Amino acid sequence: MLEEKVKLIYNSAKSAMSAAIDSKSLYDLKVKFIGKSGELSLVMKEMGSLPKEDRPGFGKVVNKYKKELENLYNTCEESLKNKELSEKLAVDTLDLTLPGPHQPVGSVHPIPLVIDEIVDILARLGYSVRTGPLIEKDWYNFEALNIPADHPARDEQDTFYMKPGYVLRTQTSPVQIHTLENESLPLRVLSPGSVFRSDSDISHSPNFHQIEGLLVDKKVSMADLKGTINFFVKEFFDSSIKIRFRPSFFPFTEPSAEVDCSCPICKGKGCRMCKNTGWIEIGGCGLVNPKVLTSAKIDPDQWQGFAFGFGIERMAIIKYGVSDIRLFSDNNSFFLKQFV
Amino acid sequence: MKVSLNWLNDYVDVSEFYKNTDALDKILTDAGLEVDGVEDMAKNFNHVVVGHIKTLEKHPDADKLTVCSVDVGAESLQQIVCGAKNHKAGDKVVAALPGAVLPGDFKIKKSKIRGVESLGMLCSTSELGLPGDSDGITILEADAEPGKSFAEHARLNDIVFELSVTANRADCLSHIGLARELSCLLDKPLKYPALDVKTSAFKVSDHVKVELKDGVNCPRYSARVVKGVKVGPSPAWLKTRLEQVDINSVNNIVDITNFIMLEYGQPMHSFDLKNINGGILNVKQVSEGETFISLDGAEYKLSAGDLGICDSERVVALAGVVGGQNSGISDDTTDLLLEVAHFTQSTVRKTSRRLGISTDSSYRFSRGTDPNIVTDAMNRACHLIQKLCGGEVSEDIVDLYPNPIVKEPITVNTNYAGERLGYKVEGGDFNNWMKRLGCELVKQDGEVSTFNPPSWRWDLEIKEDLVEEYGRLNGYDKIPESLPALNYEPLTHDPGYIQDRHTYQFFSKQGYYQSVNYNFLGEEYLNNFVGKVAGFKSCGFKVSDESAKLQNPLSEEYNVMRPSLAPSLFKNLMTNYRSGISSSRQFEIGKVFGVEGDGYFETRHLGMIAWGQKNELWQNNKPAPLVLSLKESVENFLRSLKAKSWVWKTWNSELSYLHPGKSATLFFEGKNIGYIGEIHPKLKDDSKIREDVAFAEFNLELLMRSFPKKPKLSEISKYPAVERDFSFVVDKSVASNELKQFITKTQKDLIKSVEVVDIFSGDKLPEGKHSLTYKVLFQDMNTTLTDDVIKKLHSDILNKVSAKFS
Repeated sequence: MLEEKVKLIYNSAKSAMSAAIDSKSLYDLKVKFIGKSGELSLVMKEMGSLPKEDRPGFGKVVNKYKKELENLYNTCEESLKNKELSEKLAVDTLDLTLPGPHQPVGSVHPIPLVIDEIVDILARLGYSVRTGPLIEKDWYNFEALNIPADHPARDEQDTFYMKPGYVLRTQTSPVQIHTLENESLPLRVLSPGSVFRSDSDISHSPNFHQIEGLLVDKKVSMADLKGTINFFVKEFFDSSIKIRFRPSFFPFTEPSAEVDCSCPICKGKGCRMCKNTGWIEIGGCGLVNPKVLTSAKIDPDQWQGFAFGFGIERMAIIKYGVSDIRLFSDNNSFFLKQFV
Repeated sequence: MKVSLNWLNDYVDVSEFYKNTDALDKILTDAGLEVDGVEDMAKNFNHVVVGHIKTLEKHPDADKLTVCSVDVGAESLQQIVCGAKNHKAGDKVVAALPGAVLPGDFKIKKSKIRGVESLGMLCSTSELGLPGDSDGITILEADAEPGKSFAEHARLNDIVFELSVTANRADCLSHIGLARELSCLLDKPLKYPALDVKTSAFKVSDHVKVELKDGVNCPRYSARVVKGVKVGPSPAWLKTRLEQVDINSVNNIVDITNFIMLEYGQPMHSFDLKNINGGILNVKQVSEGETFISLDGAEYKLSAGDLGICDSERVVALAGVVGGQNSGISDDTTDLLLEVAHFTQSTVRKTSRRLGISTDSSYRFSRGTDPNIVTDAMNRACHLIQKLCGGEVSEDIVDLYPNPIVKEPITVNTNYAGERLGYKVEGGDFNNWMKRLGCELVKQDGEVSTFNPPSWRWDLEIKEDLVEEYGRLNGYDKIPESLPALNYEPLTHDPGYIQDRHTYQFFSKQGYYQSVNYNFLGEEYLNNFVGKVAGFKSCGFKVSDESAKLQNPLSEEYNVMRPSLAPSLFKNLMTNYRSGISSSRQFEIGKVFGVEGDGYFETRHLGMIAWGQKNELWQNNKPAPLVLSLKESVENFLRSLKAKSWVWKTWNSELSYLHPGKSATLFFEGKNIGYIGEIHPKLKDDSKIREDVAFAEFNLELLMRSFPKKPKLSEISKYPAVERDFSFVVDKSVASNELKQFITKTQKDLIKSVEVVDIFSGDKLPEGKHSLTYKVLFQDMNTTLTDDVIKKLHSDILNKVSAKFS
């Protein structure tokens, strides 16, 4: 009798669970039939009315049905959940072409960008950065660099004058003297930074940037200088770039040379950047004039040196194809954004 | 400097380069004489020839036109219609034939003029693009040869090089000088011009007594008298020579002195003898305040120390700079006093710079002339004057040269030359090049040679100069490449560089664009923008009462070194704003300046500006005030510096660009080192900016004085952290940060963080009160925090806060 009742519960549970349409109603059925106070549990409580010897058999039967129903529940639940998930996914979408919360980008200005690149290349050869004041004493900017008061070379550097005895430095070279005064030898240093000349047009800025290298050691030759610049130029532009030295004049170096590199834009074939010559002037260099060493109280019979300098704007113009030098000081965010 | 190939060819054979200018370009460039341009002067004169007018008839249909039959060297005569009036049959003229292209891209074609065929054009000087007046067509000399190319006839078949001569190579500022350089480079002989002069039996002293009072600034002064010259126009060849190199022809005497300057590089001057008063010519320093009127009529006030050429009463020339109006050559001049002198570089440079007079003469003297060329130049000038203007030349030259300039010999070891250049140098080769350069070998001892450098190379002083000369002449392309060995410890980078670099790399990743502005700006703009510069003192900046002014600014827009970065950054905002960029963030790392004692101080600053905010799709409430997002970036930066303690304090800024109620200064490690703040509403209004603007600026040297700092790591707890929210209604005068710090202190060990998550006032809250909600994070190092413990902490905080803030 009781067993039939169990069978009946089992059958109706089985058909109800199989017919359940969602996991919620399936769960309700689970509670109704096999939960702690479900119908099967209630039948178990009636077991006391059976004879003692029948009770284990009955228990086994009930547990068998319960187990079967639990398995059935698990099977149904999985398929219902899968069905429900796919229904949910069918409508749960997000337009990922929408922008996220705004996070502004930023960039390093091309001038320090180029300076850092140059520093990083030459640091591999043992060069370290040294800096100096922008308002410089006449002595450091001129006299100590073998440019006495009435030297014709002063005419070529349109100087901004400050109080008597002070100028806005016209070149980064005064850092050479500061360094030689303060550091022990031998040494290799780089001095990047602002310099000033009183002219302003499409290709000249009154406040532009240079980087200068100085090496002082016991024996230093033009070949060392050429090798160093050659290494630098290949690293900075690319390995196909060639350099050439042209004789020139700087009061603080002797011998002196202008450095040209084969045009990185047209690879030497001739273009607007190189004025169809295939070569681009990138800087000046030379062996340190013994008079400069003497100015810094260094014995030129004991020590020799070389120095080289590049215009940062010029390097940036060549490397990035910047068309107008004024773009560097206009600080238009659309221009700067391109260096992100 | 402009150099004519025709002229050069008089002294050294350069004929091979007419058809191959590139080769000469390369030779000069490789020798250190940069070529800025090469111009073929004959390029305008193709199909332009000398013509001979055989017959001339009136045009049948036009009164003002003539029909000419012109012999242009061809088999038949050329019929050309001409509108000029100054020609007649038999004249030699300039005929542009079909195919010619005259200046202004004027193409000559076969045409019909009022029904009459015209095969070309008879030209005026202006139509040919030549200097001179253009009254009618050009009539050539009677002996001009019909059919000859006009360029050849007028010696215009020339090539002109424009050279950029470095400051040390004054010897190349003349045709003979450059010919000498080429004779050395090409190993070709140098031909000197004719110097012969027929002198007459009188002396300079018969007319004028020449005295040299200042032998320091004028080591050598020579003078000569030429009587009975005829001043008039120069012959065509002389005019052409000068005009080809951009010197205007004046008259034969002036042209000859200019010719000498361009030939020898030796400027000279000619006085009208009758205007030299008192029979005295004195080279001396003038007195302070003396006035002087130059040849071109400009008046100057002289200073003591200016070197003058003076007669008994007045200054007749400024030594080496410019002649006086009172004694120059005019059409009625008959007797000349010629001056050829050697003035020092410094005296000419000083006077010319101070008075702002730059002449071809002052340019050459201030770069250094050859003291030994003086007599040759004088003889050459007299030779030409006699030939072109007639006249009698004094038998003597007064030559005052009390202390002849002697150049020190230079001793150099060829092994040393090889070491410096980086390749083996043969002694013979070295000596040979030095000889070609004009150096005299005075002593030879093995590898050690001693040379006397030539008088025209004042720049050769030390052995390195000769090493350079050898390297240059031998070709810099022979220098090999090597890398110097590094056998010592490199230095560390300058800390300032490391700090700057950390800073700009940091902010460039926080959404800021780095800007680089000029270090100077306009004082007027600065004062308008800032108000009183002294206002920076209360945020900890060093400023000076006196600004760091430029003596010779380019314009009033850039006349003072900036004491702050904010004015430049605001300029950036304005230029961006005008080009339609209504929101952006920029920063700058740069120096600010001030006066200190006899000199200046420079401090590295970090400046920031932000303007406008993006309209956010995801923003439901109004966005955070811009100045606070700026503050957030600064605090992130402080964290990147491993900074522990900093405090923002309300700051009633007196600077006119900052909002007095929305500014704060930063106290960092106990020091006041900068500020943040919103734009002053008046500036915003005046500048017509609609967006929010926020500024920040800090003393970067103080901010980063202990950078780089190693991070100090602490253990992190293994037990979970628990969050609780606390709301307090307090007086509005209680700043959020004050309450936050108080809460933190109540349970120092267990509170990990306290953050304001809500703030509101009004509504049901009493007047003068606002509600602050904080999210507090609790965590214990050693155990899991139970609900009971949290509850106890909660009530403890509530009690303490109410006790303190009621």
